[in-house]
Amino acid sequence: MAGKIMLCRCEDMTLADLEHSVSRGYRDIEEVKRYTGFGTGPCQGKECLAVVALQLARITGQPPAAIPPFTSRPPLAPTPLKVLARDPGAHVFSDEGGTSETARTQGEEVDD
Amino acid sequence: MARRLPGHDAVRGEAVEVRIADVSVRAYADESIAAAALASGARVLSRSMKYHRPRTFFCFEGHCSGCLVRLGGVPNLRACQAPCVSGAEVSGQNAFPSAEIDLLGAVDFLFSRGMDHHTLMTGSSMLNKLANKVVRQLSGLGKLPDKAPSELPDVHRIDIDVCVIGGGPAGLAAATATATGGKSTVLIDDQLRPGGSLRTDPRTGRSEAEARWSAAVSAGVTVLARATAIGFFPEDDGGVLAVSAPDRLYRVYAKQWIWATGGYVINLPFPDNDRPGVIAARAVGRLLVDHGILAGDRVCIVEVPEAAADVGPLASALTAAGAEVTRIPLADVIGTRGRGWTTAVDTIHGKIDCDLVAVAGTPAPASEGPRQQGCRVVLDEAAGGFRVVVDENGRTTTPNVWACGDVVGYLGPTGSANDGARIGANVVREGVA
Repeated sequence: MAGKIMLCRCEDMTLADLEHSVSRGYRDIEEVKRYTGFGTGPCQGKECLAVVALQLARITGQPPAAIPPFTSRPPLAPTPLKVLARDPGAHVFSDEGGTSETARTQGEEVDD
Repeated sequence: MARRLPGHDAVRGEAVEVRIADVSVRAYADESIAAAALASGARVLSRSMKYHRPRTFFCFEGHCSGCLVRLGGVPNLRACQAPCVSGAEVSGQNAFPSAEIDLLGAVDFLFSRGMDHHTLMTGSSMLNKLANKVVRQLSGLGKLPDKAPSELPDVHRIDIDVCVIGGGPAGLAAATATATGGKSTVLIDDQLRPGGSLRTDPRTGRSEAEARWSAAVSAGVTVLARATAIGFFPEDDGGVLAVSAPDRLYRVYAKQWIWATGGYVINLPFPDNDRPGVIAARAVGRLLVDHGILAGDRVCIVEVPEAAADVGPLASALTAAGAEVTRIPLADVIGTRGRGWTTAVDTIHGKIDCDLVAVAGTPAPASEGPRQQGCRVVLDEAAGGFRVVVDENGRTTTPNVWACGDVVGYLGPTGSANDGARIGANVVREGVA
Protein backbone atom coordinates (compact mmCIF):
# COMPACT_ATOMS: atom_id res chain seq x y z
CA MET A 1 0.00 0.00 0.00
CA ALA A 2 3.12 2.18 0.01
CA GLY A 3 2.22 4.58 2.82
CA LYS A 4 0.11 7.05 0.86
CA ILE A 5 -1.87 9.58 2.93
CA MET A 6 -5.18 9.74 1.08
CA LEU A 7 -7.14 12.99 1.23
CA CYS A 8 -9.63 12.22 -1.56
CA ARG A 9 -10.43 8.51 -1.91
CA CYS A 10 -12.65 8.98 -4.98
CA GLU A 11 -9.82 10.37 -7.08
CA ASP A 12 -6.83 8.91 -5.17
CA MET A 13 -5.48 12.36 -4.25
CA THR A 14 -2.82 12.28 -1.55
CA LEU A 15 -1.30 14.81 0.82
CA ALA A 16 1.84 14.61 -1.36
CA ASP A 17 -0.28 15.56 -4.41
CA LEU A 18 -1.55 18.62 -2.55
CA GLU A 19 1.98 19.63 -1.57
CA HIS A 20 3.13 19.07 -5.18
CA SER A 21 0.25 21.21 -6.46
CA VAL A 22 1.16 24.06 -4.11
CA SER A 23 4.84 23.76 -5.08
CA ARG A 24 3.83 24.20 -8.74
CA GLY A 25 2.02 27.41 -7.80
CA TYR A 26 -1.53 26.06 -7.71
CA ARG A 27 -2.61 27.32 -4.29
CA ASP A 28 -6.19 28.43 -4.87
CA ILE A 29 -8.76 25.74 -3.98
CA GLU A 30 -10.24 25.82 -7.51
CA GLU A 31 -6.76 25.46 -9.01
CA VAL A 32 -5.94 22.59 -6.66
CA LYS A 33 -9.20 20.92 -7.67
CA ARG A 34 -8.40 21.23 -11.36
CA TYR A 35 -4.76 20.18 -10.98
CA THR A 36 -5.32 17.15 -8.75
CA GLY A 37 -8.92 16.20 -9.54
CA PHE A 38 -9.90 16.13 -5.86
CA GLY A 39 -13.59 16.66 -5.19
CA THR A 40 -14.63 15.60 -8.69
CA GLY A 41 -15.50 11.97 -7.95
CA PRO A 42 -18.72 10.31 -6.80
CA CYS A 43 -18.71 12.08 -3.40
CA GLN A 44 -18.26 15.53 -5.03
CA GLY A 45 -16.15 16.75 -2.11
CA LYS A 46 -18.32 15.57 0.77
CA GLU A 47 -15.45 13.62 2.31
CA CYS A 48 -12.46 15.62 1.07
CA LEU A 49 -13.28 19.32 0.62
CA ALA A 50 -12.98 20.29 4.29
CA VAL A 51 -9.91 18.08 4.77
CA VAL A 52 -8.10 19.47 1.73
CA ALA A 53 -9.05 23.08 2.55
CA LEU A 54 -7.75 22.77 6.12
CA GLN A 55 -4.50 21.14 4.91
CA LEU A 56 -4.17 23.88 2.26
CA ALA A 57 -4.48 26.52 4.98
CA ARG A 58 -1.76 24.77 6.97
CA ILE A 59 0.62 24.35 4.01
CA THR A 60 0.21 27.87 2.64
CA GLY A 61 0.03 29.57 6.03
CA GLN A 62 -3.28 31.25 5.24
CA PRO A 63 -5.94 31.65 7.93
CA PRO A 64 -8.73 29.07 7.24
CA ALA A 65 -11.34 31.83 6.93
CA ALA A 66 -9.43 33.19 3.91
CA ILE A 67 -10.05 29.97 1.96
CA PRO A 68 -13.40 29.78 0.14
CA PRO A 69 -14.93 26.45 -0.91
CA PHE A 70 -14.98 25.45 -4.57
CA THR A 71 -18.20 26.23 -6.42
CA SER A 72 -21.08 23.90 -5.57
CA ARG A 73 -22.92 22.69 -8.66
CA PRO A 74 -25.83 20.33 -9.25
CA PRO A 75 -26.17 17.43 -9.01
CA LEU A 76 -25.20 17.28 -5.34
CA ALA A 77 -25.26 13.48 -5.43
CA PRO A 78 -24.86 10.87 -8.18
CA THR A 79 -28.14 10.95 -10.10
CA PRO A 80 -29.32 8.50 -12.75
CA LEU A 81 -30.11 10.39 -15.97
CA LYS A 82 -33.56 8.78 -16.09
CA VAL A 83 -34.58 10.96 -13.11
CA LEU A 84 -34.10 14.04 -15.27
CA ALA A 85 -35.49 12.57 -18.48
CA ARG A 86 -39.22 13.07 -17.86
CA ASP A 87 -40.97 16.14 -19.29
CA PRO A 88 -41.24 18.51 -16.30
CA GLY A 89 -44.70 19.58 -17.49
CA ALA A 90 -45.94 16.06 -16.74
CA HIS A 91 -45.79 16.47 -12.98
CA VAL A 92 -48.29 15.27 -10.41
CA PHE A 93 -49.17 17.54 -7.46
CA SER A 94 -48.51 15.86 -4.17
CA ASP A 95 -48.96 16.99 -0.57
CA GLU A 96 -50.18 13.81 0.99
CA GLY A 97 -48.62 13.91 4.46
CA GLY A 98 -47.09 10.92 6.21
CA THR A 99 -43.93 9.12 5.11
CA SER A 100 -43.24 8.42 1.45
CA GLU A 101 -44.04 5.01 -0.02
CA THR A 102 -40.38 4.22 -0.61
CA ALA A 103 -39.70 4.25 3.13
CA ARG A 104 -42.97 2.57 4.15
CA THR A 105 -42.19 -0.41 1.96
CA GLN A 106 -39.01 -0.92 3.98
CA GLY A 107 -41.20 -2.43 6.70
CA GLU A 108 -41.41 0.58 8.97
CA GLU A 109 -44.27 0.93 11.40
CA VAL A 110 -44.84 4.66 11.26
CA ASP A 111 -48.48 5.70 11.21
CA ASP A 112 -49.66 8.54 9.09
CA MET B 1 -14.55 -10.22 12.59
CA ALA B 2 -17.91 -8.48 12.36
CA ARG B 3 -20.91 -10.27 13.83
CA ARG B 4 -24.59 -9.66 14.51
CA LEU B 5 -25.38 -9.37 18.20
CA PRO B 6 -28.21 -11.61 19.34
CA GLY B 7 -31.18 -10.06 21.13
CA HIS B 8 -30.26 -6.53 20.04
CA ASP B 9 -33.05 -4.07 19.18
CA ALA B 10 -31.88 -3.64 15.58
CA VAL B 11 -33.11 -2.74 12.13
CA ARG B 12 -33.57 -6.22 10.68
CA GLY B 13 -36.93 -7.31 9.28
CA GLU B 14 -37.52 -10.68 7.65
CA ALA B 15 -34.66 -13.02 6.74
CA VAL B 16 -33.72 -12.89 3.06
CA GLU B 17 -30.97 -14.19 0.82
CA VAL B 18 -28.85 -11.97 -1.41
CA ARG B 19 -25.88 -12.80 -3.63
CA ILE B 20 -22.68 -10.86 -3.08
CA ALA B 21 -19.83 -11.56 -5.52
CA ASP B 22 -21.50 -14.88 -6.49
CA VAL B 23 -21.80 -16.05 -2.89
CA SER B 24 -25.21 -16.53 -1.23
CA VAL B 25 -25.44 -14.45 1.91
CA ARG B 26 -28.09 -14.58 4.64
CA ALA B 27 -29.34 -11.11 5.42
CA TYR B 28 -32.32 -9.16 6.68
CA ALA B 29 -34.70 -7.16 4.52
CA ASP B 30 -34.29 -3.88 6.42
CA GLU B 31 -30.50 -3.99 6.49
CA SER B 32 -28.42 -2.30 3.83
CA ILE B 33 -26.42 -4.43 1.41
CA ALA B 34 -23.25 -2.97 2.97
CA ALA B 35 -24.28 -4.03 6.49
CA ALA B 36 -25.12 -7.52 5.24
CA ALA B 37 -21.82 -7.73 3.36
CA LEU B 38 -19.84 -6.70 6.43
CA ALA B 39 -21.70 -9.12 8.71
CA SER B 40 -21.11 -11.96 6.23
CA GLY B 41 -17.38 -11.30 5.95
CA ALA B 42 -17.45 -9.84 2.41
CA ARG B 43 -14.82 -7.16 2.44
CA VAL B 44 -13.30 -5.49 -0.60
CA LEU B 45 -16.05 -4.32 -2.97
CA SER B 46 -14.22 -2.36 -5.65
CA ARG B 47 -11.00 -0.63 -6.61
CA SER B 48 -10.09 3.03 -6.72
CA MET B 49 -9.95 4.95 -9.98
CA LYS B 50 -6.25 5.78 -10.25
CA TYR B 51 -4.07 3.45 -8.20
CA HIS B 52 -6.58 0.57 -7.99
CA ARG B 53 -6.28 0.51 -4.24
CA PRO B 54 -8.90 -1.71 -2.59
CA ARG B 55 -12.10 0.07 -1.66
CA THR B 56 -14.98 -0.81 0.63
CA PHE B 57 -17.54 0.78 2.95
CA PHE B 58 -16.35 3.71 5.06
CA CYS B 59 -19.17 6.14 5.98
CA PHE B 60 -22.27 3.90 5.95
CA GLU B 61 -24.36 6.99 5.30
CA GLY B 62 -24.38 7.26 1.53
CA HIS B 63 -21.90 10.07 1.12
CA CYS B 64 -18.47 8.61 0.40
CA SER B 65 -17.52 6.51 -2.62
CA GLY B 66 -16.25 3.48 -0.72
CA CYS B 67 -19.07 1.02 -1.25
CA LEU B 68 -19.98 1.53 -4.91
CA VAL B 69 -21.13 -1.76 -6.39
CA ARG B 70 -22.97 -3.12 -9.39
CA LEU B 71 -26.47 -4.06 -8.25
CA GLY B 72 -29.01 -5.75 -10.49
CA GLY B 73 -27.03 -4.82 -13.60
CA VAL B 74 -26.70 -1.13 -12.65
CA PRO B 75 -23.24 0.26 -11.81
CA ASN B 76 -22.06 2.74 -9.17
CA LEU B 77 -24.80 2.20 -6.60
CA ARG B 78 -24.00 2.66 -2.92
CA ALA B 79 -24.27 -0.62 -1.07
CA CYS B 80 -24.97 1.23 2.19
CA GLN B 81 -28.11 2.86 0.74
CA ALA B 82 -29.48 -0.22 -0.99
CA PRO B 83 -31.89 -2.35 1.04
CA CYS B 84 -31.46 -6.14 1.03
CA VAL B 85 -34.18 -7.01 -1.44
CA SER B 86 -34.51 -10.80 -1.60
CA GLY B 87 -32.55 -12.22 -4.51
CA ALA B 88 -30.47 -9.07 -5.09
CA GLU B 89 -27.32 -9.69 -7.13
CA VAL B 90 -24.35 -7.60 -6.04
CA SER B 91 -20.94 -7.57 -7.65
CA GLY B 92 -17.79 -5.51 -7.27
CA GLN B 93 -16.52 -3.20 -9.98
CA ASN B 94 -13.45 -1.45 -11.35
CA ALA B 95 -11.24 -4.48 -10.94
CA PHE B 96 -9.77 -7.34 -12.97
CA PRO B 97 -10.35 -10.19 -12.38
CA SER B 98 -12.00 -9.40 -9.02
CA ALA B 99 -12.07 -6.71 -6.36
CA GLU B 100 -10.19 -8.93 -3.88
CA ILE B 101 -7.44 -9.84 -6.36
CA ASP B 102 -6.99 -7.02 -8.85
CA LEU B 103 -4.00 -7.23 -11.17
CA LEU B 104 -4.29 -3.51 -11.90
CA GLY B 105 -3.35 -2.95 -8.25
CA ALA B 106 0.23 -3.11 -9.59
CA VAL B 107 -0.24 0.56 -10.54
CA ASP B 108 -0.11 1.40 -6.83
CA PHE B 109 3.33 -0.20 -6.47
CA LEU B 110 4.71 1.09 -9.79
CA PHE B 111 3.78 4.62 -8.72
CA SER B 112 4.48 4.22 -5.01
CA ARG B 113 5.65 7.82 -4.77
CA GLY B 114 2.63 9.19 -6.61
CA MET B 115 1.78 9.95 -10.22
CA ASP B 116 1.40 13.40 -11.78
CA HIS B 117 -0.81 12.67 -14.78
CA HIS B 118 0.02 16.11 -16.24
CA THR B 119 3.54 15.03 -17.06
CA LEU B 120 2.98 11.27 -17.45
CA MET B 121 4.35 10.10 -20.82
CA THR B 122 4.33 13.57 -22.32
CA GLY B 123 8.00 13.50 -23.38
CA SER B 124 7.43 11.54 -26.60
CA SER B 125 4.36 11.90 -28.82
CA MET B 126 4.36 8.17 -29.65
CA LEU B 127 4.50 7.11 -26.01
CA ASN B 128 1.87 9.72 -25.25
CA LYS B 129 -0.54 8.26 -27.82
CA LEU B 130 0.00 4.78 -26.45
CA ALA B 131 -0.41 5.95 -22.84
CA ASN B 132 -3.67 7.71 -23.68
CA LYS B 133 -5.03 4.56 -25.33
CA VAL B 134 -4.24 2.50 -22.24
CA VAL B 135 -5.52 5.10 -19.79
CA ARG B 136 -8.83 5.46 -21.66
CA GLN B 137 -9.38 1.72 -21.34
CA LEU B 138 -8.60 1.73 -17.62
CA SER B 139 -10.19 4.95 -16.40
CA GLY B 140 -13.81 5.58 -15.50
CA LEU B 141 -16.01 3.98 -12.93
CA GLY B 142 -17.96 0.79 -13.50
CA LYS B 143 -19.43 -0.52 -16.75
CA LEU B 144 -22.63 0.64 -18.43
CA PRO B 145 -25.95 -0.81 -17.20
CA ASP B 146 -27.15 -4.10 -18.72
CA LYS B 147 -30.19 -2.39 -20.21
CA ALA B 148 -31.90 0.99 -20.45
CA PRO B 149 -34.56 1.76 -17.80
CA SER B 150 -37.98 0.44 -18.86
CA GLU B 151 -39.87 3.39 -17.39
CA LEU B 152 -39.04 6.93 -16.42
CA PRO B 153 -39.68 8.21 -12.88
CA ASP B 154 -42.72 10.42 -12.24
CA VAL B 155 -42.26 14.12 -11.59
CA HIS B 156 -44.10 15.47 -8.53
CA ARG B 157 -44.50 19.16 -7.78
CA ILE B 158 -44.70 20.18 -4.11
CA ASP B 159 -45.79 23.71 -3.11
CA ILE B 160 -45.24 24.13 0.60
CA ASP B 161 -44.68 26.66 3.39
CA VAL B 162 -41.51 25.07 4.76
CA CYS B 163 -39.01 22.64 3.24
CA VAL B 164 -36.56 21.06 5.67
CA ILE B 165 -33.54 19.36 4.13
CA GLY B 166 -32.10 16.63 6.33
CA GLY B 167 -33.94 14.19 8.59
CA GLY B 168 -31.48 13.93 11.45
CA PRO B 169 -32.03 15.30 14.96
CA ALA B 170 -32.03 18.97 13.83
CA GLY B 171 -34.27 18.48 10.80
CA LEU B 172 -36.83 16.25 12.55
CA ALA B 173 -37.09 18.73 15.44
CA ALA B 174 -37.30 21.76 13.14
CA ALA B 175 -39.97 20.15 10.92
CA THR B 176 -41.99 19.05 13.95
CA ALA B 177 -41.89 22.63 15.24
CA THR B 178 -42.97 24.24 11.96
CA ALA B 179 -45.77 21.70 11.37
CA THR B 180 -46.98 22.11 14.96
CA GLY B 181 -46.95 25.87 14.38
CA GLY B 182 -49.38 25.46 11.49
CA LYS B 183 -46.96 25.59 8.54
CA SER B 184 -47.28 22.95 5.83
CA THR B 185 -43.92 21.18 5.99
CA VAL B 186 -42.02 18.69 3.87
CA LEU B 187 -38.88 16.99 5.16
CA ILE B 188 -36.35 15.47 2.78
CA ASP B 189 -34.00 12.76 3.97
CA ASP B 190 -31.58 10.77 1.84
CA GLN B 191 -31.09 7.75 4.12
CA LEU B 192 -32.94 4.43 4.14
CA ARG B 193 -34.63 5.68 7.33
CA PRO B 194 -34.73 9.18 8.85
CA GLY B 195 -32.93 9.71 12.15
CA GLY B 196 -29.45 10.75 11.02
CA SER B 197 -26.83 10.80 13.75
CA LEU B 198 -29.43 9.71 16.36
CA ARG B 199 -28.98 6.23 14.89
CA THR B 200 -25.22 6.32 15.43
CA ASP B 201 -24.83 7.47 19.01
CA PRO B 202 -25.23 5.02 21.92
CA ARG B 203 -26.55 7.92 24.05
CA THR B 204 -29.58 8.39 21.78
CA GLY B 205 -29.98 5.29 19.64
CA ARG B 206 -32.52 3.77 17.35
CA SER B 207 -35.51 4.20 19.67
CA GLU B 208 -35.05 7.96 19.88
CA ALA B 209 -34.69 8.17 16.09
CA GLU B 210 -37.96 6.24 15.63
CA ALA B 211 -39.73 8.37 18.27
CA ARG B 212 -38.66 11.66 16.68
CA TRP B 213 -39.61 10.41 13.21
CA SER B 214 -43.06 9.37 14.50
CA ALA B 215 -43.46 12.74 16.25
CA ALA B 216 -42.75 14.59 13.00
CA VAL B 217 -45.29 12.49 11.08
CA SER B 218 -47.89 12.94 13.87
CA ALA B 219 -47.34 16.71 13.70
CA GLY B 220 -48.31 16.56 10.01
CA VAL B 221 -44.89 16.64 8.33
CA THR B 222 -44.64 14.99 4.89
CA VAL B 223 -41.49 12.91 5.22
CA LEU B 224 -39.74 11.96 1.99
CA ALA B 225 -37.30 9.17 2.85
CA ARG B 226 -34.62 7.94 0.43
CA ALA B 227 -34.96 11.34 -1.24
CA THR B 228 -31.85 13.34 -2.07
CA ALA B 229 -31.72 17.08 -2.74
CA ILE B 230 -29.71 17.20 -5.96
CA GLY B 231 -29.71 20.91 -6.72
CA PHE B 232 -31.30 24.31 -6.26
CA PHE B 233 -32.25 26.20 -9.42
CA PRO B 234 -33.00 29.85 -8.57
CA GLU B 235 -34.09 30.76 -12.11
CA ASP B 236 -37.18 28.54 -12.02
CA ASP B 237 -40.36 30.17 -10.64
CA GLY B 238 -38.76 31.77 -7.56
CA GLY B 239 -36.42 28.84 -7.04
CA VAL B 240 -36.93 25.08 -7.14
CA LEU B 241 -35.17 22.36 -5.20
CA ALA B 242 -34.82 19.19 -7.25
CA VAL B 243 -35.11 16.06 -5.13
CA SER B 244 -34.34 12.62 -6.48
CA ALA B 245 -36.00 9.49 -5.06
CA PRO B 246 -35.78 5.90 -6.35
CA ASP B 247 -39.01 6.16 -8.34
CA ARG B 248 -39.60 9.87 -8.83
CA LEU B 249 -38.28 13.40 -9.09
CA TYR B 250 -39.76 16.00 -6.73
CA ARG B 251 -39.78 19.69 -7.65
CA VAL B 252 -40.10 21.53 -4.34
CA TYR B 253 -41.23 25.17 -4.16
CA ALA B 254 -41.11 26.44 -0.57
CA LYS B 255 -41.63 29.80 1.12
CA GLN B 256 -39.04 29.02 3.79
CA TRP B 257 -36.07 26.66 3.60
CA ILE B 258 -34.35 25.08 6.59
CA TRP B 259 -31.02 23.33 5.97
CA ALA B 260 -30.42 20.64 8.57
CA THR B 261 -28.02 18.52 6.57
CA GLY B 262 -25.64 17.89 9.46
CA GLY B 263 -22.02 16.95 8.92
CA TYR B 264 -20.24 14.34 6.82
CA VAL B 265 -17.89 11.90 8.47
CA ILE B 266 -14.37 12.49 7.22
CA ASN B 267 -11.20 10.45 7.16
CA LEU B 268 -8.13 11.66 9.06
CA PRO B 269 -4.74 12.09 7.36
CA PHE B 270 -2.36 9.25 8.27
CA PRO B 271 -0.39 6.83 6.06
CA ASP B 272 -2.59 4.16 4.44
CA ASN B 273 -5.71 5.71 5.94
CA ASP B 274 -7.73 4.27 3.04
CA ARG B 275 -6.99 0.62 3.77
CA PRO B 276 -10.15 -1.51 3.97
CA GLY B 277 -10.98 -1.96 7.64
CA VAL B 278 -10.47 1.74 8.34
CA ILE B 279 -14.00 3.08 8.70
CA ALA B 280 -15.67 6.09 10.26
CA ALA B 281 -16.22 5.87 14.02
CA ARG B 282 -19.78 7.09 13.46
CA ALA B 283 -20.29 4.15 11.07
CA VAL B 284 -19.09 1.77 13.78
CA GLY B 285 -21.63 3.44 16.07
CA ARG B 286 -24.39 3.13 13.45
CA LEU B 287 -23.67 -0.55 12.92
CA LEU B 288 -23.80 -1.17 16.66
CA VAL B 289 -26.74 1.06 17.58
CA ASP B 290 -28.97 0.71 14.53
CA HIS B 291 -28.02 -2.67 13.07
CA GLY B 292 -26.91 -4.61 16.12
CA ILE B 293 -23.66 -5.48 14.35
CA LEU B 294 -20.36 -5.41 16.21
CA ALA B 295 -18.03 -4.38 13.39
CA GLY B 296 -14.84 -5.75 14.96
CA ASP B 297 -13.55 -7.69 17.95
CA ARG B 298 -10.39 -5.62 18.41
CA VAL B 299 -11.11 -2.00 17.56
CA CYS B 300 -8.53 0.79 17.39
CA ILE B 301 -10.15 4.22 17.55
CA VAL B 302 -7.95 6.88 15.91
CA GLU B 303 -9.17 10.22 17.18
CA VAL B 304 -8.57 13.96 17.34
CA PRO B 305 -8.93 15.67 20.76
CA GLU B 306 -12.16 17.44 19.67
CA ALA B 307 -13.89 14.08 19.15
CA ALA B 308 -13.26 12.81 22.68
CA ALA B 309 -16.76 13.60 23.96
CA ASP B 310 -18.30 11.31 21.31
CA VAL B 311 -15.59 8.65 21.35
CA GLY B 312 -15.98 7.96 25.08
CA PRO B 313 -19.58 6.70 24.90
CA LEU B 314 -18.85 4.75 21.68
CA ALA B 315 -15.81 3.05 23.24
CA SER B 316 -17.87 2.09 26.30
CA ALA B 317 -20.69 0.68 24.16
CA LEU B 318 -18.25 -1.35 22.04
CA THR B 319 -16.57 -2.70 25.16
CA ALA B 320 -19.97 -3.61 26.65
CA ALA B 321 -20.77 -5.48 23.41
CA GLY B 322 -17.62 -7.57 23.81
CA ALA B 323 -14.97 -5.73 21.82
CA GLU B 324 -11.46 -4.90 22.94
CA VAL B 325 -11.02 -1.15 22.35
CA THR B 326 -7.81 0.90 22.10
CA ARG B 327 -7.96 4.67 21.71
CA ILE B 328 -5.08 6.23 19.77
CA PRO B 329 -4.48 9.97 19.25
CA LEU B 330 -4.10 10.83 15.55
CA ALA B 331 -0.72 12.40 16.31
CA ASP B 332 0.64 9.00 17.39
CA VAL B 333 -0.35 7.10 14.21
CA ILE B 334 2.35 6.37 11.63
CA GLY B 335 0.60 3.79 9.47
CA THR B 336 -1.66 0.77 9.08
CA ARG B 337 -0.89 -2.83 8.15
CA GLY B 338 -2.80 -5.66 6.59
CA ARG B 339 -3.27 -7.67 3.41
CA GLY B 340 -6.75 -6.89 2.14
CA TRP B 341 -8.10 -5.94 5.55
CA THR B 342 -6.42 -3.95 8.31
CA THR B 343 -4.71 -6.08 10.95
CA ALA B 344 -2.69 -3.50 12.87
CA VAL B 345 -2.01 0.19 13.45
CA ASP B 346 1.58 1.36 13.72
CA THR B 347 2.08 4.07 16.32
CA ILE B 348 5.11 5.93 17.66
CA HIS B 349 4.82 3.61 20.69
CA GLY B 350 4.71 0.40 18.63
CA LYS B 351 2.33 -1.84 16.72
CA ILE B 352 -1.22 -2.42 17.95
CA ASP B 353 -3.02 -5.45 16.49
CA CYS B 354 -6.67 -4.96 15.56
CA ASP B 355 -9.34 -6.08 13.11
CA LEU B 356 -10.97 -2.66 12.69
CA VAL B 357 -9.85 0.96 12.78
CA ALA B 358 -12.51 3.53 13.66
CA VAL B 359 -11.65 7.09 12.63
CA ALA B 360 -13.09 9.89 14.76
CA GLY B 361 -12.71 13.44 13.43
CA THR B 362 -15.03 16.43 13.58
CA PRO B 363 -17.78 15.94 10.95
CA ALA B 364 -17.57 18.39 8.04
CA PRO B 365 -20.69 20.59 7.70
CA ALA B 366 -22.81 19.49 4.72
CA SER B 367 -23.03 23.00 3.36
CA GLU B 368 -22.92 22.56 -0.42
CA GLY B 369 -26.72 22.76 -0.70
CA PRO B 370 -26.95 26.06 1.21
CA ARG B 371 -24.05 27.31 -0.95
CA GLN B 372 -26.25 26.79 -4.02
CA GLN B 373 -28.82 29.08 -2.39
CA GLY B 374 -26.13 31.71 -1.95
CA CYS B 375 -25.64 31.28 1.79
CA ARG B 376 -22.28 32.44 3.09
CA VAL B 377 -20.05 29.74 4.56
CA VAL B 378 -16.72 30.02 6.33
CA LEU B 379 -13.91 27.52 6.78
CA ASP B 380 -13.60 26.95 10.51
CA GLU B 381 -11.36 24.22 11.93
CA ALA B 382 -13.41 23.89 15.12
CA ALA B 383 -16.57 23.41 13.03
CA GLY B 384 -14.88 20.67 10.97
CA GLY B 385 -15.08 22.51 7.65
CA PHE B 386 -17.22 25.06 5.83
CA ARG B 387 -19.98 25.94 8.29
CA VAL B 388 -23.05 27.91 7.22
CA VAL B 389 -22.97 31.41 8.71
CA VAL B 390 -26.17 32.12 10.68
CA ASP B 391 -27.33 34.87 13.02
CA GLU B 392 -28.54 34.15 16.56
CA ASN B 393 -32.00 33.22 15.19
CA GLY B 394 -30.70 30.72 12.64
CA ARG B 395 -31.07 32.96 9.57
CA THR B 396 -28.46 32.50 6.87
CA THR B 397 -27.26 35.40 4.71
CA THR B 398 -29.96 34.51 2.12
CA PRO B 399 -33.55 35.70 2.80
CA ASN B 400 -36.01 32.92 3.80
CA VAL B 401 -33.17 30.41 4.19
CA TRP B 402 -32.35 29.07 7.65
CA ALA B 403 -29.89 26.51 8.99
CA CYS B 404 -29.61 24.50 12.18
CA GLY B 405 -27.73 21.58 13.70
CA ASP B 406 -24.25 20.37 12.74
CA VAL B 407 -24.28 22.27 9.42
CA VAL B 408 -23.69 25.51 11.37
CA GLY B 409 -20.88 23.91 13.42
CA TYR B 410 -20.68 20.59 15.23
CA LEU B 411 -23.27 20.29 18.03
CA GLY B 412 -23.78 16.51 18.31
CA PRO B 413 -27.15 14.68 18.21
CA THR B 414 -28.74 16.17 21.33
CA GLY B 415 -27.41 19.67 20.71
CA SER B 416 -28.65 19.49 17.12
CA ALA B 417 -32.14 18.40 18.19
CA ASN B 418 -32.37 21.38 20.56
CA ASP B 419 -31.08 23.75 17.88
CA GLY B 420 -33.58 22.39 15.34
CA ALA B 421 -36.54 22.88 17.71
CA ARG B 422 -35.42 26.44 18.43
CA ILE B 423 -34.91 27.42 14.78
CA GLY B 424 -38.18 25.74 13.75
CA ALA B 425 -40.02 27.90 16.30
CA ASN B 426 -38.22 31.00 14.95
CA VAL B 427 -39.36 30.17 11.42
CA VAL B 428 -42.98 29.93 12.61
CA ARG B 429 -42.71 33.24 14.44
CA GLU B 430 -40.62 35.28 12.02
CA GLY B 431 -40.82 33.56 8.66
CA VAL B 432 -42.84 35.50 6.11
CA ALA B 433 -45.50 33.12 4.87
